[in-house]
Amino acid sequence: MSARTRWVLARFGEAEPLLAAARALRQAGHASIDIHSPFPLPGTAEALELGRSRVPLLALCGGLAGVGTAIAMQVWMNAVDYPLNVGNRLLAGKPNMVPVMFELGVLLSSFAIFFGMMGLWGFPRPHHPVFEVEAFRSAAVDALWLSVEVKVEDAERVAQALRGSGALEVEFAPEVEA
Amino acid sequence: MKTLPIHGQSPRQPGERALWTSLEDLDGTARGPEGEFPHGAAEAPAALGRRSFLQLMGASAALAGLGACHPPREKIYPYVKQPAEGLPGQISHYATALSLDGYATGLVLTAIDGRPIKVEGNPAHPASLGAAGILEQAALLDLYDPARADGFRSRGLHLAWRKLLEEIAALAASHAKDGGEGLAFLLAPEASPLLADLRRRVQARFPRARFRVWAPLAEDQAAEGARLAFGRVLDAQPRLDLADVILSLDADFLSGPGDALRLAREFARRREPGEAMSRLYVAEPALTITGAVADHRFRMRGSEVAGFARQVAGALGAIPAEAALPAGREARAVAADLLRHRGRSLVLCGPRQPAAVHALGHAMNAALGNPGETVHHTAPVLGEARPEPGALADLAREIQAGAVRTLVITAWNPVYAAPAGLDLGALLAKVENAIYLTLREDETSRRASWVLAASHPFESWGDGRARNGTVTLQQPLVAPLKESTTAVDLLAAFLDEGNRGAREHLKALWKARSGPAFEASFERWLEQGMIPGTAEPAVAAPVHAEAVAAAVRALPAAPPGLEMAFARDYSLADGRFAPNAWLQELPDPVTKISWDNAAYVSPATARRLGFRNGQRVALSLPGRSLEAPVWIQPGHADEAVTLALGYGRTADGPVGKGVGVDAYRLRSAAAPWFEGGLSVAAAKGEHRFAVAQGHFSMEGRPIALDFTQEQWKRESHELDELRGPEPSLQEPVDYSKLENAWGMAIDLGKCVGCSACVVACQEENNIPVVGKAQVAKGRIMHWIRVDRYFQGPPEDPTVIAQPLACVHCEAAPCEYVCPVNATVHSDEGLNEMVYNRCVGTRYCSNNCPYKVRRFNFLAWRGEAAPTEKMLVNPDVTVRARGVMEKCTYCVQRIERVRIEARARGARMGPVQTACQQACPAEAIVFGNLRDPGSRVSQAHRDPRRYDLLHGLGTRPRTAYLVRIRNPNPELG
Amino acid sequence: MSPPAATAAAREALQPPRLLPAGITDRQINDSLLDHVWNPRRGWWTLFAMALAGTGLLVMGLGVTLAYGIGMWGNNQPVGWGYGIINFVWWIGIGHAGTLISAILLLFQQRWRTSINRFAEAMTIFAVIQAALFPLFHTGRPWFAAFWLFPYPSTLGIWPNFTSPLIWDVFAVSTYFTVSLLFWYLGLIPDLAALRDASTSKAKRIAYGVFALGWRGSARHWQHYRIGYLLLAGLSTPLVLSVHSIVSFDFAVSQLPGWHTTIFPPYFVAGAVFSGFAMVMTLMIPARKYLGFEHVVTERHLETMNKVMLVTGMMVSYGYLMEHFIAWYSGNPYEMFVILNRATGPYRWVYYAMIFCNVLVPQTFWWRRARTSIPWMFAAAVLVNVGMWTERFIIIVTSLHRDFLPSSWGMYFPTWVDWSIFVGTLSFFSLLFLLFLRFVPAVAVTEVKELRHELAHEAAHAAGGHR
Repeated sequence: MSARTRWVLARFGEAEPLLAAARALRQAGHASIDIHSPFPLPGTAEALELGRSRVPLLALCGGLAGVGTAIAMQVWMNAVDYPLNVGNRLLAGKPNMVPVMFELGVLLSSFAIFFGMMGLWGFPRPHHPVFEVEAFRSAAVDALWLSVEVKVEDAERVAQALRGSGALEVEFAPEVEA
Repeated sequence: MKTLPIHGQSPRQPGERALWTSLEDLDGTARGPEGEFPHGAAEAPAALGRRSFLQLMGASAALAGLGACHPPREKIYPYVKQPAEGLPGQISHYATALSLDGYATGLVLTAIDGRPIKVEGNPAHPASLGAAGILEQAALLDLYDPARADGFRSRGLHLAWRKLLEEIAALAASHAKDGGEGLAFLLAPEASPLLADLRRRVQARFPRARFRVWAPLAEDQAAEGARLAFGRVLDAQPRLDLADVILSLDADFLSGPGDALRLAREFARRREPGEAMSRLYVAEPALTITGAVADHRFRMRGSEVAGFARQVAGALGAIPAEAALPAGREARAVAADLLRHRGRSLVLCGPRQPAAVHALGHAMNAALGNPGETVHHTAPVLGEARPEPGALADLAREIQAGAVRTLVITAWNPVYAAPAGLDLGALLAKVENAIYLTLREDETSRRASWVLAASHPFESWGDGRARNGTVTLQQPLVAPLKESTTAVDLLAAFLDEGNRGAREHLKALWKARSGPAFEASFERWLEQGMIPGTAEPAVAAPVHAEAVAAAVRALPAAPPGLEMAFARDYSLADGRFAPNAWLQELPDPVTKISWDNAAYVSPATARRLGFRNGQRVALSLPGRSLEAPVWIQPGHADEAVTLALGYGRTADGPVGKGVGVDAYRLRSAAAPWFEGGLSVAAAKGEHRFAVAQGHFSMEGRPIALDFTQEQWKRESHELDELRGPEPSLQEPVDYSKLENAWGMAIDLGKCVGCSACVVACQEENNIPVVGKAQVAKGRIMHWIRVDRYFQGPPEDPTVIAQPLACVHCEAAPCEYVCPVNATVHSDEGLNEMVYNRCVGTRYCSNNCPYKVRRFNFLAWRGEAAPTEKMLVNPDVTVRARGVMEKCTYCVQRIERVRIEARARGARMGPVQTACQQACPAEAIVFGNLRDPGSRVSQAHRDPRRYDLLHGLGTRPRTAYLVRIRNPNPELG
Repeated sequence: MSPPAATAAAREALQPPRLLPAGITDRQINDSLLDHVWNPRRGWWTLFAMALAGTGLLVMGLGVTLAYGIGMWGNNQPVGWGYGIINFVWWIGIGHAGTLISAILLLFQQRWRTSINRFAEAMTIFAVIQAALFPLFHTGRPWFAAFWLFPYPSTLGIWPNFTSPLIWDVFAVSTYFTVSLLFWYLGLIPDLAALRDASTSKAKRIAYGVFALGWRGSARHWQHYRIGYLLLAGLSTPLVLSVHSIVSFDFAVSQLPGWHTTIFPPYFVAGAVFSGFAMVMTLMIPARKYLGFEHVVTERHLETMNKVMLVTGMMVSYGYLMEHFIAWYSGNPYEMFVILNRATGPYRWVYYAMIFCNVLVPQTFWWRRARTSIPWMFAAAVLVNVGMWTERFIIIVTSLHRDFLPSSWGMYFPTWVDWSIFVGTLSFFSLLFLLFLRFVPAVAVTEVKELRHELAHEAAHAAGGHR
């Protein structure tokens, strides 16, 4: 049994058959199935049973961290480490801490979102086997593609099944070590 | 400190000697005790006197030794015992003097590391009383002026000192043959006994030599007036503190020569509300600082003052009716008021008024029984050295006649300041040896065949007399920065004693005049800066009424039409201070114009002639014409134009050159002060003035407040809303835990607006000069400014001056907006500026309601000459470009006092800020608010106290006291 | 002639003008919208050269300032802030439209935004870059300000003062810039992928491939992308409002009459959106012609934006009204004087220019003809930009030059350095914008495709609904 796998890529003209084919493959027990579209295609997440995204949670943590940092920073710097009589103002007046609290909250939250997503996607990843298939490039332009990673020996069978389920075109990405 | 010859110092223990006694050790006339030789001191002597910064620093170690004027000419030995003053950073004070217009003002100079850095008044001196005027203080800048004349030259050839002496000796010998036939001297008025003595001796050697005394702004009319009234020349010595009612006939006594500082002090002392408050009437053409503080100001052309005087005199019965004029309402009221205060009133005449008016003034005082009470008379303090009106004309005639082979000029710049039509420059060419002693290369030095650089007073030994006659000693603080000499040495040179050194002459003179134990007393005199008990004694002076009446009758009526008036400039005097950047930049106390003079006209006259501010006009008098820019001056007399003298220099260093217009070109010998028949015509072009104040009306805001006595009785409660606690969200910081809480109080009732505080602050705090263009842009750097507001009709407004520096708010708006904590509060309540933290956002300045912060928009100092660097006060940071700065309450002085107190383990003594110390009127009080007994605490409790912009809740530490005026109800 | 067809036709007639031409395909969208990247438009180099020259002016102006100091500007006592802060506030304001359009309109699901948001976001970022220059260079010692304004343990041992609005500015502006950049770039990734995959040469493919970070349009990408993008939009919305509020605190927190005004935050935000939209119009109108985007940036878009300008213009006018009213109502003589001085003082002509540009000009948009006339709306947009600049001049200079003590009143005149820096930032802004037009899709291609998809879907449903 070799552990070599390869990606089978199938182009569909319409969304419905694509999603049907995806569901079929899942029932057939294939794990790494993916759908590629030039714009977010409704229903894909359900078809692939992806579950909820963890990005909102990251955003929340980032935001809280930001606000906390802001409070700690301002109180410690102006009231604890180097207290000064500045225009007879309170050393740690609450109102004047709000702007920085808000801004830092937003900043760290945004960082959490953006870099969190990069992490979830494993970006940056300029290279991927599917890019070896020139035809697949249309996925970013106007075509809908379904990709599934299978054992080398299964590739043909899966391809046949996909053709059966209405794929207009099926391609094979080069073999890779699993 | 204890060995300093500073005035007012506790008597020294026997055996202990004041610093400068080591002079004996130094100049070899006495042997010092043997002792260990301080290493390093060995290099000190010999080469001193070369004009190099380093050696001067070295020289400072032997400061007293440098006292002798010509280091190459006096041997200098190192100290045997290093005096305390040798310690780096150690402050020493020296009593010395500066003579202006012939009269000496006693000063105390602060020197650090041998560099004089600050001029202050000598509290014991009758003409200073501890205060210092703008000229005395700014003179220090002249000392360090890199553009000063240097060395000696004859017909373009540089002469070494000894060579010069030989040349003069030869010259003198050649004149001695014919008794000094072709020898003439043109001297400045100078009350110095030493110079008088030398003059006598020179006269003795050259019996036929002619001495003439001349100054452009001479008080010769006053002398003539005294001669008319008393039959002989006498000086009047007024006492304002004893006068309840004062009538000033064109006398700007708060700024004039001699003892303006004393008069300001005495006047201010009587300006507190109540029965004891004095009343001042002023009759004058152009608004002066004296006119600005008057209770009643009668504006009239200079030539009309005489008429007003005759009205008052008539109403007083001081002169026979036929010599008087029918009194108008004002004159009657004034006369009545004066009569109500017989013996406690005073009539003063200004130097610009003709002799007859001065005589009339004497007659009025006599009629009022004032002599011996508010005024007494003394023999003229100037003695022979009084300027005579015709001095220059006579000299010119002699030169024309070819009767002058050698002319020695120690008077200031006659070529520039000579009356129009007298081309002295051309005449000097006819004189074989025109020897000119001058501080700077100027208009005269260009024409003189011999030019000798003069030493600055702070570099040379000498003496002088205060206005009241007190002999004042002038001791040097530093070796001459330039190869130069003094009038004393120059005259002595004609006696072949030129190399003896002024100090020796001085000592010889006073040794002769004082009894035994001279050395000890001379030491004490130097320490005090003067010789006590040398004031001129009062003499009885009966007035010759009929002579006065005759003179008064001879007075011409005021000519109709436009009148040209000339004025002494507040900051340049007769023009000798034109090269002084501090004084050029100092805004005129009245008009706030800096770096300019202007043709002042009244609003009405301007309207009639269709003139705008800044418009250039041609002023024409018979045979003379001058273009000048117009400035419309509220309170100026109608149909008159006033122009300050001393501007429009064509030589005399880079600073003053081409600033303003030269009024001397219009000024005739016949009518030196007022001349009728002026014609004006609009000329081409606009002139842009650099005015330091943006707007002269208070726009009805409660800023600089003044009340009349009457109002004050009724309305004093109005101040309650301008003081006391304001509601605030912030809990006020508690300052009661510390020993000190610094505060200031400024009494607008005392302030005469003379601006001495501005110069004092500039000198103390290393404040840069920015130049006319930058002042015009609104970037002047003065930490304290004197705002001048006009109220009422622009024709005849009431005028009030308000000194304003950082008020050190307890809730300072500038502080909380600074992003980098560069301006914060000290625990003693100072609003501190941290220069090295400042990044220059200027947010603090925007948020300062008093706009007292100053920003270094450019690198103001640029490349300072080595001598200019010597002026810097090492206790105060020199600010960099891009940094904000402002008044610090002289924090460096506070810390000095604190350090000294700590060293002694004592409580802190009183602290004086520079502005407070200079103020002649004692209007500024600074001190500790925690001490209920301190003067500042009392001032803060004064019913006249209010806070500027109190409604903002800034809680300023500087409080103001409203001005109370005391107008005559009859004129109300 | 079947009834459904008739009703369909009727409904069609009732529809607002189309956002997209009928029957356009993804491929067509893709090609048309990416075309300007592959084939630069004519005259690009000329424009670029001009912008570059103008940027030289900026470099010179800043160079002179660094060499000699702020004294080269017109600032003085009492006017501590002049062109520097005027331009800062003006540019920051302009920088608001972008995020507002992308974020707020996204949350409100305004479809018409898709054609212009990319454009507006780019403008935002470039505008904020201009703005950020001024707070730094207007200080007396930028070489210190550059880092002392940030809380780091310095050798002085002292920290920034968090009561100072300038510190709030530092945080607000830097946060706003960073978040806008992330938001913009995130939206750009799928389009970069499209560029990569439509690249005609290997070099381009590699270049865009690097920036696309390996985007494969996979379902997993889209899943996070949609929620993440939405969240960033959600964060940006309050952020946008906060930034100009905080900028307004620079003035509102002071005690200066004319600055110390509680209405400032909302009034500044409205003004910011106002000027931002004006700037988008100023750039969009020529750009859509230049790039041939009339089919995606339609008349309807422009008209809608004009409506927004009318609304925000009214808000700004209300702000002016309240400022004047409160000054009078407060009874505070200093406040009253400031308003009086603005209308009758030496700077009154600037004041009347402001009223004309910001209050009167937008009123024309009540009329449809004005809203749809391209030349007029362009002129109006430019005028509003001018007007908003004069507004900042009025707020800053007239309040400072005559404050509490008449003795310290003064005048402010800008110098040639002030002008060259201002013109320089305009050029630098154009420079960045030209680069953007040259290398990045100016319209969010992916979103347009999505929009097309949705529209098609709805059409299908509408049609289906009748069977």
